[in-house]
Amino acid sequence: MRLGPPRLRLVAVLLVLLGAQLALRPWMATSPFAPDFVLVALLFFAMRSRPGAGAVAGFVVGLLSDAVAPTAFGAGAFALTIIGYVAGWLKAVVFADNLLVTVVFVFAASWLRDLLELAASGALRAGAIGGELLVLWPASALGTAAAAAIALLLFRGLLRSAPAS
Amino acid sequence: MALGVERYGSRGDTIAFVACLVVALVTLSLPEALRAPIAAALRRSVLLPAVSIESRVAASRAERQAILALRAERDSFALAASQVPGLVTENAELRALLRVRRRLGTGFVTAEVLHQSGLTDGLTLLLSAGRRAGVTPLAPVVSPTGLVGMVTTVDPRTSVVMAWSHPDFRASAMTAGGKVFGIVAALRGERAGEVMEFRGVPYRDTLPAGTLLVTSGLGGVFPRGIPLGTIEGMLSEAEGWERTYLVRPAAHPAQVTHVLVLKPVAAGDSLGAAFRVPTAADSAAAAALPADTI
Repeated sequence: MRLGPPRLRLVAVLLVLLGAQLALRPWMATSPFAPDFVLVALLFFAMRSRPGAGAVAGFVVGLLSDAVAPTAFGAGAFALTIIGYVAGWLKAVVFADNLLVTVVFVFAASWLRDLLELAASGALRAGAIGGELLVLWPASALGTAAAAAIALLLFRGLLRSAPAS
Repeated sequence: MALGVERYGSRGDTIAFVACLVVALVTLSLPEALRAPIAAALRRSVLLPAVSIESRVAASRAERQAILALRAERDSFALAASQVPGLVTENAELRALLRVRRRLGTGFVTAEVLHQSGLTDGLTLLLSAGRRAGVTPLAPVVSPTGLVGMVTTVDPRTSVVMAWSHPDFRASAMTAGGKVFGIVAALRGERAGEVMEFRGVPYRDTLPAGTLLVTSGLGGVFPRGIPLGTIEGMLSEAEGWERTYLVRPAAHPAQVTHVLVLKPVAAGDSLGAAFRVPTAADSAAAAALPADTI
């Protein structure tokens, strides 16, 4: 069943994820497993795009998230630029529609994003990570990976053979 | 960004990546005085809808939590309120018991009914008073409204009562005026445990509904004058011989919470005054009055 041009289908999925971030995430704000739907959306886009597009998308998303929590304005942009670029490269080596690959990659990307963001903001030097690195971040990364898995299962038909841009 | 078919990054991708990275690092190194206005501008423009939606969702989440808290409080109050009728009933029963105690004077033991969850609760009752309190076997057990049963087994601290609803229970009974005598027992069958039957009433005597039955004092177990119940109607009759009446009991064993266990009484003692049972003289006086004044 053809729902429309591939790019439109991808945009539709990204909009759903953005809506989930706005409507669902506040309900889970206190949970350490609260997923980051925007990161999932970014990775879905980047894994189906060229590395440059992934980097630009990561930069924009990171800058906007920095604006909402401007403790270290630019740190999120820095981290997500790298994540987006790497995700764009990923499709050269794996299939983006593979559930296991997606889950593992989203988990790693979430954890790496936190690490890069903290490093860029200078907090890593202060040695303030410890338990966060091993407990809180993996919990958050698990939630995000689970959300990615659910989204991929729900929207597999829409995401299949989405175009490279 | 045009659609492309290459699977690997080109120079353009690298340039875009490096440019974004450099801009991000430049943004990071900006002084706070410059970074804050940029962030604020983004929040007021591009992010305004998102921030607005998120704040509404957060507000509705807070409202929902407040509603849940209110609902929990309401449930607690409802639970507390549901216990009030039971307490009111128990209070009324205790007040009535106190009045009977006052009229009885001495010669009784107060006890609490320890209701059990078994199916036989209501046929036999466990009381919180036993031998140490002065309870003896065959002692009559009464509630403020009437006879509950009699003690069958006595332990040091507890005692077991055979209630009138027990199939083996019998009590010699008479009408309040002492005119008609018979035997009261629990009715068997469909309404077992709810009502009594008054057997052995001579065929020549008819009892109207509402007639009060009390213990007759015959047999030496129950003193005279303890209310048993009131006549509801005729149950059966053996032609030319006797009638059996249906009796609404004065006390329901399954509902009593506090009782008085009477100590042995001398033959001829009457408790009618304690239960305010009309005497034969009262009955005669009432019968003499015109019907419209009763």
